[in-house]
Amino acid sequence: MKSSVPFLREDVIESEAEMLLAEYGREHEAIVCPPVPIDEIIELYLKLEFEIRDLRALFGLGDVHGAIWFRERRIAVDTQLDPGQFPAKRGRYHFTLAHEAGHWRLHRKHFTVPEGQKDLFDGEPKPSYICRTTEKKVPVEWQADCFAACLLMPYKLVRSAWEEWRGGLEPIILSEMPDRRQRLQAELLRRGGGKSGPEGEGDMVLENAVRPFADLFQVSAEAMRIRLEKFGLVARKKEASLFD
Amino acid sequence: MSKKPKPFGQVLRERRVERGYTLRKFAELMELSPTYLSQVEQGNVDPPTAERVHKMADLLGASADEWTALAGRVPEDLPGIIQKEPTAMPELLREASGLTAEQLRALREKARQMKAQGKPGAEGGDV
Repeated sequence: MKSSVPFLREDVIESEAEMLLAEYGREHEAIVCPPVPIDEIIELYLKLEFEIRDLRALFGLGDVHGAIWFRERRIAVDTQLDPGQFPAKRGRYHFTLAHEAGHWRLHRKHFTVPEGQKDLFDGEPKPSYICRTTEKKVPVEWQADCFAACLLMPYKLVRSAWEEWRGGLEPIILSEMPDRRQRLQAELLRRGGGKSGPEGEGDMVLENAVRPFADLFQVSAEAMRIRLEKFGLVARKKEASLFD
Repeated sequence: MSKKPKPFGQVLRERRVERGYTLRKFAELMELSPTYLSQVEQGNVDPPTAERVHKMADLLGASADEWTALAGRVPEDLPGIIQKEPTAMPELLREASGLTAEQLRALREKARQMKAQGKPGAEGGDV
């Protein structure tokens, strides 16, 4: 495959995601509360053919979550993410769908199939992108991840839902949480282990705190924590101000 | 010569999307796993049972008989009908095989009339 994707600023990616949400709203139903209907956006608005299949066996790779075929207008998600069979993977399933939507919106115009490219095997064309969990994030994958976060957790929707959930726009501050230890223990129990080091522990405590909010958006607590940190709605320490 | 019909899975997927159901939503309605439904649509597994195909067609406003045939299944009431008349019914079907759609329609209409006439009380038979 051949792809020369230009650098895209985060605000450009965010605008593209907002545009897709607005287009969906015009053609189907305006999205006024979470979760963002990503299945509908993929199948009913973008009209992409959608499959759940054993991608690990198909590509002989153990860490594949999704793939996209531009020419065939097709995306696929690995069977391990089937939310019907594995409800705990629902967040990852949504993120993978949104990630593939990102490739579709951001990258398909830059993608060309090299001459003479062969099929994987009989009648099974090579995908444009295979999306894996453990590989180093190349720019196209980073951009698609960024798009997915913006699409599933758009600023306005997060802000209004946060206001309703918390009764205001006050952030959650890690250093001010009185029950950090208990939250950490609870999160460790839930995960059966976790990240080490003060930074990793901080992540887990915050993810434990925002999990109910992440559930509203049907995304993982980790994805939501990262997004909320960006918006300043969760923080490690209180920002110093002139009045402190 | 008639065109080769589309595979059942493809017809199902196209109709489902046309009717505004996502794979996940339709799987939920059918009480199936999304993976299984997707496999059916991809043609990687045998089509579902006649009963399920019937339910799918009903939910999507399609002809149950047409979809059952497309899925390579036999409508669930047919085996019983044949077993009731094990010689005459297969003979009738063999004779009817090869007739045009219009001829079949006429034959069906005739059968309907015969049944109505044969029914007790249908033609002033009340005593």
